[in-house]
Amino acid sequence: MSTKIRWSGAVLGVLGLALVLVVHWQVFFWVSTERTMGVVQRIFYIHVPSAWVAFMAFGIVAICSAVYLWLKDERLDMAAVAAAEGGMLFTAIVLLTGPIWARVAWGTWWTWEPRLTLTLLLFFIYLGYFLVRSSTENPERGKRFAAVVGIVGALDIPLIHVSVQFFRSQHPEPVVINPEGPSLQGDMLTTLFTGLAAFTVLFFAFFLFRYGLEHMERALVHRQLAGDRAPLPEGATS
Amino acid sequence: MEYFRQMGALIWKDVVVELRTRERIAAMGAFTILVGILFNYAIDPTVVEPQAIASGLIWMTIIFGGMLGLGRTFHLEEEEGAFQGILLSPIPRDALYLGKVVANFILLTAVTGLVFGVFALFFGLEFGGHPLALTGVVLLGILGFVAIGTLFSGISARTSMGDTLLPILVFPVLLPMVIYGVTATSSLFQGLPVSEVDGNIRMLGAFAVVALAAGAGLFRFVVEE
Repeated sequence: MSTKIRWSGAVLGVLGLALVLVVHWQVFFWVSTERTMGVVQRIFYIHVPSAWVAFMAFGIVAICSAVYLWLKDERLDMAAVAAAEGGMLFTAIVLLTGPIWARVAWGTWWTWEPRLTLTLLLFFIYLGYFLVRSSTENPERGKRFAAVVGIVGALDIPLIHVSVQFFRSQHPEPVVINPEGPSLQGDMLTTLFTGLAAFTVLFFAFFLFRYGLEHMERALVHRQLAGDRAPLPEGATS
Repeated sequence: MEYFRQMGALIWKDVVVELRTRERIAAMGAFTILVGILFNYAIDPTVVEPQAIASGLIWMTIIFGGMLGLGRTFHLEEEEGAFQGILLSPIPRDALYLGKVVANFILLTAVTGLVFGVFALFFGLEFGGHPLALTGVVLLGILGFVAIGTLFSGISARTSMGDTLLPILVFPVLLPMVIYGVTATSSLFQGLPVSEVDGNIRMLGAFAVVALAAGAGLFRFVVEE
């Protein structure tokens, strides 16, 4: 089974990397420059897709965690870990690209802008998720604790979102999903969608690799506990 | 009915233990007074008017002081396997959680009263003319805080990181309570009409309800062996 996962991961990884190259070509050479913000606006094609993937990953973590607590199926926990790690990576990308853009567009590295704040808190919720998992001696307990943290985090995200909006917003308004249809011009929209496709595919490649790794790790631990008599996991060499 | 009787027994036990040992209340009370002293020297009153930042100071003191007590919610039971005894008794897990929340809420309400008293005394603060609305805001805020803190202290108490983990888990999800609590308290301190903070009170209520529901539903996965 793990061989199949790794092959799917490799296929998605190659596809994702190719799309990442395409979107970078589009960003640097193809898409037209935005009139008011200028060249720095091009970071948007990396920033927004990363944010989309980070939040999607957290959705996966929450759903897998909730169903894990219910069914206690090991695979759901492995999927939650894999998604959380990918999510943390893309959250970091959002948090790195956001300030670079803000420095030029708003003249400041950091501002308490609602979506930026939400993403920063998301990063710390992910951090808590991994700390809880790694600081328990009993791994089963760690899985349950992490699932609880993941679910509470997901329930709280809408409330955080509303509260930071309440506090004040100066982030650009949504340019794709708004009532009058996308306000973004054609080639910009194409570049954005290439970015979304690239990062989504890349995320699932990471997800599959991480899932496969987690699977093998657990099989090895299981084997050690069984006193080296159990068979090696498929694809592992001793 | 049985459910509330069991919950009541748990609350009674925690309150009596606290009244007799005075362990947590003494630590939290001393903490708030000491923080007040430190704030007095950390904030230059000739530069910043204490009244202007009073609601933020008060809420942060309540939260930090509260973390001190919440972290020890399950401390007594962890000793000599007392928690196993409670888990073996035929009490639903959510009643156990809610009982702990109420006991913590009583404790934190007492500490909060002390914070208000101490800060009024030290900084000569005015609390505005709406004591009822202010009490409502503060009690709803700490209810949500206690609901989250009790659930997560059940987790942190049983990790190797212990109490150091608790703020990392609690603070990110606490932001809505801080935003609505501090802005509402600040408006009331300025003497604005209660209608100004209606929305805040509703959101504080929503936060408390979500936190309590999540805690009651998820607590059994925290204590399960």
